[in-house]
Amino acid sequence: MLRYALNRLLSTIPVLWIAVTACFFILRLAPGGPFDGERQLPQRIKDNLAAHYNLDKPIVEQYFIYVGNVLKGDLGPSFINQDFNVAEQLAIGLPYTIILGSVAFILAIAIGILAGVMGALYRNRHPDYVLGLIILTGLVIPNFLVAPILQLVFGLKLEWLPVGGWGDGSISFLVLPVVVLALPHIARISRLMRGALIEVLNSNYIRTARSKGYSSSRVIIKHALKPALMPVVSYLGPAAGFLLTGSLVVETIFGLPGIGRYFINAALNRDYGMVLGTVIFYMVLIVTLNLIVDIVYAWLDPRVRTQ
Amino acid sequence: MNQPVLSINNLSIEFETPDGLIRAVNNIACHVNSGECLGIVGESGSGKSQTFLATMGLLANNGHARGEVLFGGKNLLQLSTRELNKILGDRLSIIFQDPLTSLTPHMRIGEQMAEVLHVHRQLKGHQSQQLCLQWLDRVHIPEARQRLKQYPHELSGGMRQRVMIAMCMLCQPELLIADEPTTALDVTVQAEILDLMTELQQDLGTAIVLITHDMGVVARMCDRVHVMRSGEYIETGSTEDIFYRPKEAYTRMLLDAVPKFNLDKVDNPNVEISQDSNTILVAEDVQIHFKLNTNWFSRPMTLRAVDGISFSLNAGETLGIVGESGSGKSTLARAILRLLPKTAGTVSWLGTDLNKLDKQSMRTMRKDLQIVFQDPLASLDPARTVGFSIMEPLLVHEPSLTLSGRQDRVKAIMLKVGLDASLINRYPHELSGGQNQRVGIARAMILNPQLIICDEAVSALDVSIQAQILQLLKQLQRERGLSYIFISHDLSVVSEISHRVMVMYLGSVVELASSEKLFSNPQHPYTKQLISAVPIADPKIERSRQRIKFGTELASPLDLNARLRFLPSKRSTEPNYRPKLQERFKGHFVAEHDAIADLL
Repeated sequence: MLRYALNRLLSTIPVLWIAVTACFFILRLAPGGPFDGERQLPQRIKDNLAAHYNLDKPIVEQYFIYVGNVLKGDLGPSFINQDFNVAEQLAIGLPYTIILGSVAFILAIAIGILAGVMGALYRNRHPDYVLGLIILTGLVIPNFLVAPILQLVFGLKLEWLPVGGWGDGSISFLVLPVVVLALPHIARISRLMRGALIEVLNSNYIRTARSKGYSSSRVIIKHALKPALMPVVSYLGPAAGFLLTGSLVVETIFGLPGIGRYFINAALNRDYGMVLGTVIFYMVLIVTLNLIVDIVYAWLDPRVRTQ
Repeated sequence: MNQPVLSINNLSIEFETPDGLIRAVNNIACHVNSGECLGIVGESGSGKSQTFLATMGLLANNGHARGEVLFGGKNLLQLSTRELNKILGDRLSIIFQDPLTSLTPHMRIGEQMAEVLHVHRQLKGHQSQQLCLQWLDRVHIPEARQRLKQYPHELSGGMRQRVMIAMCMLCQPELLIADEPTTALDVTVQAEILDLMTELQQDLGTAIVLITHDMGVVARMCDRVHVMRSGEYIETGSTEDIFYRPKEAYTRMLLDAVPKFNLDKVDNPNVEISQDSNTILVAEDVQIHFKLNTNWFSRPMTLRAVDGISFSLNAGETLGIVGESGSGKSTLARAILRLLPKTAGTVSWLGTDLNKLDKQSMRTMRKDLQIVFQDPLASLDPARTVGFSIMEPLLVHEPSLTLSGRQDRVKAIMLKVGLDASLINRYPHELSGGQNQRVGIARAMILNPQLIICDEAVSALDVSIQAQILQLLKQLQRERGLSYIFISHDLSVVSEISHRVMVMYLGSVVELASSEKLFSNPQHPYTKQLISAVPIADPKIERSRQRIKFGTELASPLDLNARLRFLPSKRSTEPNYRPKLQERFKGHFVAEHDAIADLL
């Protein structure tokens, strides 16, 4: 098991390297740079800026300098915001994004699995149809539409919840963004869970368990649940990625001070350092989550370990 | 004694389907006495399994059972789930057909066994573990203590079936239902499992219901037999009556359809090969190795699936290849056709080395070399009509044909293999297993090949269908002078169709001889063991036979030591020695082995 985890860990290194490299060069190939603006800067200032940020060196050399710094743990300076370097800016926004993301993630898993199990157990009966309808709604309405509707209903009409902002950081400020962020994932996870559980319940080993005279709750919890979780778990890695990209939109709509906002601004301003730094951060996060998913997968299915 | 443990009266089972109500079982009655083995025989779809699934409340959701199933004075069909659950797994247990998928994959063997004791006996800890160990020992599982910590996928099929039996026996049930318990297993393993069941029946007086399609298994095990067809018991009687004095035509047909595997058979019903026929295929020292475990930490291992096999095949001849699972027979078949790369060795067809051909000439050559696979349904494209599947080879090899020309060829070949031409636009899932296999054969035949490799081509079929397909293959051989390589794990089928038979063990040939010689006078201990393990559909002969056994299960092809299982005297001196094939009698080749008395 430990060996399996170590093996998977090593295999993430090339993934990270390829992603950083691709991102670096794509960003440079895009037209425009951090110092292009409405107001033309004198050539000397431009040259000085370029020299300061190593932009005058050949691009391959810049690449090696950048990668070298990253390996030392230095994400470099922001090209636009002189007061903070990339790492410092990320550190400011990070807590908000992490809280928002992880609460939404846990909510999506918990409610999604529960709804999926209900759907499978009441398959093709009323509870299944009702859940199916709600879930379908969650899937088809995009978050930039759900968010304003919820803001309108719960914030302005009912005045139960704040419309946006972080406020004093109390839970009431979190409810709407978390729900908007989690909704599509609740929908997907519950669909996966329902399908997998129905399939497992039809399998030979469940028939064996039932033939032993076990109660249906024992059959489901001890024999069916673990294998049925496998497709859900393998979805969680990509889901974490979607959650991060979703948080960019949600943070913007609800005016939350997370790193999503920095990322969008940085991209628009061609802030090379900030964009690359955010990408690296997201990537490490996604790769780590995928790694955890793989390990959980091996825990669920003993056959994976021996492969 | 003779008190019925279970009696079934007026049992009917119906399924609600989109096509309306389907009656799977119609008003049947039977009983099982204590200490007795009752056989239920029938072909697939006859309702033989459904009867006993209904008894245990395990029907699919759309199934309904009516009638009376008396067990311990109670009608099981009317018990609440809670009351029924008290009986299931405790006094009434069932073993299923497929041991590979019937154990929960993420639970250790020990956990699964302990769970039965926990639920039904409230036993835990040491006491429960002792009982589990006792039963694992009792079903002859070596190193029982370690098995408790293993997961199902770490055990072989035979071992898993033993675990299933041990789990069923933990609470010492009064009745054990065995639903095709050995169908998915190799013959030698089947023999062991059947012996084990007999042992339990005799020692503990457990009543057994044995559901099977195999008349040989019935002959060996059962006291009384019900023959089932289309949801009804059409004939009932003692095993002797059924085998020696069958009344119904269907029973006689079932018995006739069993390939006659007679140890002292004299007449060879096979197609004659002309004396001057030419050698068409020669395989020399074919080796196929697979690299396993390409993990960063462990050294790659080599699996020698086929380890140096040579043989030749004449025009119009059928070469049978038998061996148990893992012996490399299918791998060999695929390598002959270059569907798998060979590690070493040559295969030449009419004098041309197939390995040396480029892609284009190989494709042309494939016209003569065809293959029919095991699973008829899975080897046809589900999105294409069977007519298209049969016709497709013509598109590649005879592109000049017109549409109507192709249609005529398809219809002609369908007629030839006994398929109604009206089926031409049907899809594979609309046909039966036997019809689909005929489609597979038609697809292989349409190019008029000279060699067809049949890889377990009849293994998935009911015996009556099996007999028809074998007849068809022989008839085609007679008419067209075809050669076959006929691969099967079923010795009786191979003996029925082959001129010569090659026995494989762990990727090597242990014996090669004409069909009569091999089966009437087997030389190699492994061949003897295989032959003696096949149940014969004749209760008197079957029960009086002495079985030959050398060790238990088929060893793993990864275990290099296993290669010398029949030549242990070389183990200490030359551990890498490969037993050589020697011509013991004219045309009868036997791999080196130690004297049989020493091996026992």
